[in-house]
Amino acid sequence: MQLAKRTKLEIFVEQHALARIEAMLGESGFTGWSVFEGVEGAGSQGGWRQTGITEGAAYLLVAIGSEAAAESALSWLADYFTVYPGIVAVSEVAVMRGDRF
Amino acid sequence: MDFLQVAGEAAAANLLAPAILFFALGAFAGFAKSDLSIPDQVAKTLALYLMLCIGFKGGAEARASGLSTELLTAGGIGLTLGFLAPFAAYAALRAMCRLDRLTAAATAAHYGSVSVVTFAAGSEYLRSIGVEFGGYMAAVLALMETPGILAALIIVGARARAPGTRYNPQIFREVLFNGAAVVLIGSFVIGAITGQSGMQRLDVFVGPLFQGALCIFLLDMGLVASRRLAEASQLRFSMVVFAIGWPLLSAGVALLAADAAGLSIGDGALLAVLAASASYIAAPAAMRIALPQADAGVYLPMSLGVTFPFNLIVGIPLYHAVARVLLG
Repeated sequence: MQLAKRTKLEIFVEQHALARIEAMLGESGFTGWSVFEGVEGAGSQGGWRQTGITEGAAYLLVAIGSEAAAESALSWLADYFTVYPGIVAVSEVAVMRGDRF
Repeated sequence: MDFLQVAGEAAAANLLAPAILFFALGAFAGFAKSDLSIPDQVAKTLALYLMLCIGFKGGAEARASGLSTELLTAGGIGLTLGFLAPFAAYAALRAMCRLDRLTAAATAAHYGSVSVVTFAAGSEYLRSIGVEFGGYMAAVLALMETPGILAALIIVGARARAPGTRYNPQIFREVLFNGAAVVLIGSFVIGAITGQSGMQRLDVFVGPLFQGALCIFLLDMGLVASRRLAEASQLRFSMVVFAIGWPLLSAGVALLAADAAGLSIGDGALLAVLAASASYIAAPAAMRIALPQADAGVYLPMSLGVTFPFNLIVGIPLYHAVARVLLG
């Protein structure tokens, strides 16, 4: 089985940033990503919970792409996180059908 | 009839209303750590439904009564109060609660903006006791939603963008075109366009079903408010005093303005309800974008955990009772 090395970004942000970050991922060279809605959790400022209309949940964006695309995205996110809460985790992954990423 | 008697009758009528009792049930379930929950999407749909009903009915009634001086007067008072209140609230929060600049401004935005559900509960209360009010008060509600948020942005004098960053948050789009504002104002316009024929077609949807939906929504709000309060470790005594004292002060100012302008008891009471209410939908969403460094652990428990229940249980009948004495 042939596997290709790619870079995976896992980005946790608030709902209001989703559209901007998805646009940024596209501009950075990622060809695909997925968004997952959080239910509840805890962070450095305590617990949070998605509770109907009053609170925005944390959203997880998972994007897999080239190292160059990841570096471009991380540069943008470094700016973003100076103002807004969020987390990004970077990892090297092996993927099948590497031409798709 | 003296004021105490009026207030006592009003409080009794309010406390036995199904919507209030469902709110109490939700709060009890939350404090008791029951596994009762309303699915998020249901709560969001109900919120949209309530706004649609309020806007649509208000628009249809406003069309029936025409562009009246009462609408312009109540709207003018509402806009003025909504815009000026955050400046005074900011000063009070800084002096009284010792909040940092950004958290005080964000909290002031909540108290300058309004709560749609408090308005819904207030209007249902007035209907239940047979007090008439103008349908245009829904337009006043819509008018009062954003000035407080804009005032908070003026207070801090800067956007969230940090020096040297490329990220440019679209704060004003969020403030002016947030989902709640679009549905509320859009429904009002649709109601005004379609008028009585539109009301006849949606009669059951925006009429009899409204009370039931409000009960389910308030059940959820009881759960959320009690859980918020239980988790509010940063809530200090001075903040609780503000969260109760500020609505009383705002309602008093609104009632004096309503008296000076010659508004009816119903319109004056609803104006007081609006002035006393604190936002927990539009303002938190805007503050997350505009002032992300402000502490949501302060402004949400204050507006949702203290002010909202206070207005719902004590405030609404109290403001009506004062309006009855002052404007009657």
